[in-house]
Amino acid sequence: MTQLNITHVVVISLTAVFLLVALDRAGELRGPQPTYTPPAAPAAPVAQIDPDKGKPPPHNDTVADLPEGKGREVTFYTCTACHGVALIKAQGLTRDLWDSTFDLMLERHRMVPVKPEERAEILDYLAEQFPPRRRGRNADNPFLK
Amino acid sequence: MPKSGTIKASRRNVLKGAGMVAVSAASLTPTSMALAQGAPAAKGPKLLEMEGKAKLIVLGDKPLNAETPAEMTDDDVTPIDKFFIRNNGLVPDAPADAKAWKIKVDGEVDKPMEITLGDLMSRFPNVSYKMMLECGGNGRSFFSPEARGNQWTNGGAGCAEWTGVRLADVLKAAGVKPSAVYTGQYGADPHLSGDTTKPSISRGVPIAKAMEPHTLIVFKMNGKDLPLIHGGPVRLIVPGWAGSTSTKWLTRIWVRDKEHDGPGMGGFSYRLAKTPIVPGSKGDEKDTVILEAMPVRAVISFPADGARLASKKLDLRGHAWAGENEVKTVDVSTDYGVTWKPAKVDAPPNKYAWQRFTASVDLPSAGYYEVWAKATDSKGVTQPFVAGNWNPQGYGGNPINRIRVLVAS
Repeated sequence: MTQLNITHVVVISLTAVFLLVALDRAGELRGPQPTYTPPAAPAAPVAQIDPDKGKPPPHNDTVADLPEGKGREVTFYTCTACHGVALIKAQGLTRDLWDSTFDLMLERHRMVPVKPEERAEILDYLAEQFPPRRRGRNADNPFLK
Repeated sequence: MPKSGTIKASRRNVLKGAGMVAVSAASLTPTSMALAQGAPAAKGPKLLEMEGKAKLIVLGDKPLNAETPAEMTDDDVTPIDKFFIRNNGLVPDAPADAKAWKIKVDGEVDKPMEITLGDLMSRFPNVSYKMMLECGGNGRSFFSPEARGNQWTNGGAGCAEWTGVRLADVLKAAGVKPSAVYTGQYGADPHLSGDTTKPSISRGVPIAKAMEPHTLIVFKMNGKDLPLIHGGPVRLIVPGWAGSTSTKWLTRIWVRDKEHDGPGMGGFSYRLAKTPIVPGSKGDEKDTVILEAMPVRAVISFPADGARLASKKLDLRGHAWAGENEVKTVDVSTDYGVTWKPAKVDAPPNKYAWQRFTASVDLPSAGYYEVWAKATDSKGVTQPFVAGNWNPQGYGGNPINRIRVLVAS
């Protein structure tokens, strides 16, 4: 027989205490308790409407989105004050039509006017970079890709 | 739905040649244009990433303009997520209370009024129609040389079910004076520059079109509250006419005693050359006519351009529409117009709805074929072989629709 010493008594006692506390905490030693009912929450604030809900994601271009060339910067900052570079890049126009496009922007779209030398630089850039380039109707045959 | 048994859409083609797939009949795709331009390696068109919207083809991010690829137009009623997006300005803030949105009716009326959307909905009879909404520049990409503007193929068009009140009922309540000639319509979309003193666009229509019983002030699309991106909470639908007359985010109808002169009414905006001009030339802004009704158009929605066919028998289908008129016939050709075969054309559910056409063709052999479709309207007007009547801003481009297919050997 192993003799019980003081250490054993302490260990056994502490174990019993912990066990009882744990059972008590778990509700095993108590009857049903009244459940806690929090006080009624204050009336929900008026739903905040997000004014941007349903809008397209924001879009920002950089100068590097336009091909390099003389006049790129002034073209970028003049045109993208309103619209994206994708619209510029989709065009294929002669200098004459770029010129009338400039008038369209000023008159129809109320663009802020620029100095004549800036207009010339922008038109040179656009005519150089985005000339008519539509080729024959079989230039993009899907089965040659 | 596509019959996967007979058609084997090539995934590689769909992904790698997305530009081609998207452009059902374009002579040149955005992809190849970018290549010709020497731009960074083209990866096909940019696809829309936006909550509530399908992966439409993005033509421009600012303003956001996106078209529906032809193979995504197969539904009888275009679902909201597949409906094309056209903006001239920025998208305005969503209102906190849609029913409090105000619309002003003034000008040549006996009783100018300002009415909330809520009152409008309860005061006037609500009607629903399936009707075309089509960008005035739809088909612009078919012009050669290039015309100015967003390069729409055929995807700037859709047929939704619109619910609203008749503009005629509202105008009658305001009492249209005999001096009334035209509407001047305004919306809440801010100018792209952010300058709030500039309207982004303001168009109008002759009083007769405004009083037409299908011209509606709309607040529901396919039974749902009109989404912000499509002009919600309230917009006009002027069916069959250039979409820019269907003012989004409607705030004011100014009844004019002359043709309206807001931004978008002058120059070559929404105007065709009166005397035909040399393609690629500047033209004369004083010699123009307003683009009103949209031209007759057929678009094959199945199969997709670039489809690889497992069988020589092809059951194709699509939709056709014709502005103010009804489509009477659609004909298809698989031999470059040498011979034509009539398709079956369904009656529209109501005026201004597109019409389903279906045809079954037997391709004579394996190999490369083009399938062409052309519609003819109730006035006998059909589609040209190429986009004609070139004009600087590229309106009225409605050449015969064309898809390219490859039959497996």
